[in-house]
Amino acid sequence: MTEVYQKLEKIVSEKSLSNNIYVRHAYSRNVDPLLQGVPDIVILPKDTKEISEIFKIANEEDINVIPRGGGDCEFGGSKPIGDGGIVLDMKRMNKILNLDEENLIVTVEAGISWGKLNEYLSQFGLYTGCMGPGSGMTASIGGGISHHSVGGGGCAKYGACTNQLVSLEVVLPTGEIIETGSQANKYSKFPFNRFGNGPDLAGLFCGDNGILGVKTKVSLQVFPRPPFADYKTFLLPRKSAEVSANILTEIRHKGIDVYDAMYIPDVVVSVASKLGCFPLWEKVKRKRGMFFYTIEANSERELEEKTKQLDDIILSKKTENLGPEISDGNYAKWHYVEQGHWQTYHNLWGMYPALEPLTAECFTPINTFPTILSDIDQWDMEHSEDIAKIFEITRTRPITGSGPILLIDGNNVELTCGFTSFGSFFNGERHEIIDEINLKLWKSILERVTKWGVQWYMMGEFMSRLMVEIGAYSTEFYNFMKNIKNTLDPKNILSRGKYNFK
Amino acid sequence: MCLKLQKGCGDCGYAIRPAVGRFLTCPVKEAKGEAAFEIFFARGRMGVLKSILEEKIPLSKDLAEFVYQCSECGNCNEVCHQTQNENIVLNTSKWIDHVEVWNALRKDLVEEGFAPLDKHAKLIEYMNNPDMRNPYGEEKAKKIEWFSEFSNVKDKGDLVFYAGCTYPLRQSITLKNMMKILQASGKEIAISRDEWCCGSVSLRIGDEKAVMENLNHNIEEFKKMGAKTLFTACAGCYRTLKKDYPELLGEELPFEVKHVTEILIDMLKNNEIPFKAEEGDLLKVTYHDPCHLGRHMDLYDIPREVIYKIPGIELIEMKRTRKNAWCCGAGGGVKSQFPELAIDIAKDRIMEAIETDAKVLLTSCPFCDTNLSDAIKEMGPEVQDKIQLMDIIDFIASKM
Repeated sequence: MTEVYQKLEKIVSEKSLSNNIYVRHAYSRNVDPLLQGVPDIVILPKDTKEISEIFKIANEEDINVIPRGGGDCEFGGSKPIGDGGIVLDMKRMNKILNLDEENLIVTVEAGISWGKLNEYLSQFGLYTGCMGPGSGMTASIGGGISHHSVGGGGCAKYGACTNQLVSLEVVLPTGEIIETGSQANKYSKFPFNRFGNGPDLAGLFCGDNGILGVKTKVSLQVFPRPPFADYKTFLLPRKSAEVSANILTEIRHKGIDVYDAMYIPDVVVSVASKLGCFPLWEKVKRKRGMFFYTIEANSERELEEKTKQLDDIILSKKTENLGPEISDGNYAKWHYVEQGHWQTYHNLWGMYPALEPLTAECFTPINTFPTILSDIDQWDMEHSEDIAKIFEITRTRPITGSGPILLIDGNNVELTCGFTSFGSFFNGERHEIIDEINLKLWKSILERVTKWGVQWYMMGEFMSRLMVEIGAYSTEFYNFMKNIKNTLDPKNILSRGKYNFK
Repeated sequence: MCLKLQKGCGDCGYAIRPAVGRFLTCPVKEAKGEAAFEIFFARGRMGVLKSILEEKIPLSKDLAEFVYQCSECGNCNEVCHQTQNENIVLNTSKWIDHVEVWNALRKDLVEEGFAPLDKHAKLIEYMNNPDMRNPYGEEKAKKIEWFSEFSNVKDKGDLVFYAGCTYPLRQSITLKNMMKILQASGKEIAISRDEWCCGSVSLRIGDEKAVMENLNHNIEEFKKMGAKTLFTACAGCYRTLKKDYPELLGEELPFEVKHVTEILIDMLKNNEIPFKAEEGDLLKVTYHDPCHLGRHMDLYDIPREVIYKIPGIELIEMKRTRKNAWCCGAGGGVKSQFPELAIDIAKDRIMEAIETDAKVLLTSCPFCDTNLSDAIKEMGPEVQDKIQLMDIIDFIASKM
């Protein structure tokens, strides 16, 4: 590895390159408590050219390269699978390269966070529409594109992070640099459209989970933020999952362009309220599921009309509007006005000391999620013996279920499901059995959910391999994906181990 | 120690960068630029701590070099904990305190002999030297020179002033201005001729044992003086005396501890400070929250109330203020061990102050003052012409 390091020193500044053991361990984990892989080297690349050169060395030396954006994956996506390799920390490449206010297109380096970009855009009355992944405003633009991420806000109206994509600059695993969309035409002066000039090659890299290329430059469509908005929160009646699914379906059938709509399951409301997370719902007697929406408009009249349409749908289902203010219970207002995004999940993971997520994120049609949630409850009962073993050590029972379920583009919802458990290091002692049970249960629950036909989007180490291991991929799709990978990355340099590609 | 404290960080990454309206989180990360590896900010550090706890990597001198490149400003803690609304509570705020975690790791490094680092060790050595009792290595007698010209300073009394080390040894003009203000209102104070360093320096470095002698001496000294109220102008001393001393002792102090702004606000409310008549346009000023006053002690409003009561000025807040105020970069031992890093952080804060269009940048901490001042000097005449840095005390005195 010394020889590789010496080669890298010739192309990367000394300050941005490290093989220090502590630096490497800082890059060895993501959000989950279980998966760890310590890289040999960490680099903060300066630009596209540097990344291209790094790949050339990696190919010569047959070394794994792992891109890392915000590092917010919950399932080991932006750290090595096993130890070794080079982590490219993209956060240094965080410049806003151009804002084309006339054509409403922003071009950025892919390491910039959704938070920082939106902070910049807000000065011009603009936003990215889809405000980024639910994993946080810290998440990078490149990471959001690499995963079709959703959950940062605006996904019901604008869809996933990739829906607004105009063009990409990508470094291929062999070191070549390509630009997609309108930029495929060498005479094009600026990025303006994703589709055309041949197949949608940007699409190849959207949701690739970082296996086909490193995104270095991204052009996104941006939108004027409408000046009017309303946001309401409703207490749902019994069978809240089914009721919320009916509401979401009806919203779609009536074609209302709701900005966000979200269902918080009963278990989340009751447990989090009990633990003091939601003083705003203290007055609510029956701690059942909640539903909330945000709607935007260009005029008061338009807002009034849209709000009326939404309220007619929601109130017809025996729901109760909790009132306009946050203190009345209006969670939606807190998110839209004070937070500016929908990072509810993180708030919930920390409900107990040391509670951490063992989950994954998928899309599923609106009308399927109540059944899936019910089956997750059933799974929990079936695995109570193993769960009890964790309880015996931690005295807190892991919680199985789903975080808030949100409407995304089309007739789909996003489901973050699994269970929250504890790391093996608990109260000053190492309990290896916790890791063993966690791993077993994590695989088990996600296999169960996979068999409902869901579509995992942010797959990381865990889901990308599990899908292969349980034989969930159609043979034709998997082989096609493998062929593309082999063509672009013959030595399997990039994100080695994902999808079990050899 | 850190074994107990590092529980429940989910590595979510919140504490890296902004949630909306928080405008970045870690001053060290931003200042590090091309070397901003995750070990320099909260999530990466938490990850390293996990590996240490799991015995995958050891404590070492090498680790200490990373750990002390943190001003312990606490902004990561605020970003991690804040919902900005009392109706929604992040439970992590109940059991993770980032600064406590960082400090516990420092204590572990000291206990295991990997810290203090060289310059920090010198500070502690000076602090514990019987001929000095201050981290600047100055003779003890020098610390009391500043008030020799004030004949009305008493040896005993209800109201005792604790000067600390930085003001009397490096910025005595500010203390003289404070005396001018107090004298104008006829307020009498007592000052010890044998106060020792409060020990803030060693506490931030993680050497708790080194502070105990100073703590016991100082408390006895102030008790002997008959102190009912002890006040200080230094933000670091304020935190140490008011928060750390009772925690270390396990009991309340026999006197109350106040910051000088808490004394000044009473005087201003009683119209005891004779200001000059102001004419012309309002002077635009902005205020930098010292971490040891703000995030560490929740003292945000009183310094602002003091500023509002000064005639002829308009207070304009910086973009990052109060709980999310950007650190000056000096704290946590950064200024002494990593001075270039401290100045790089300070430059960012200076630019933010200039963005407000204020002509004066006020603060109430001698460390912030020193570091921001060093940054302004380094930034050159263009910046020096745009903004003037002043301690609130000096600013008030200039208006009398």
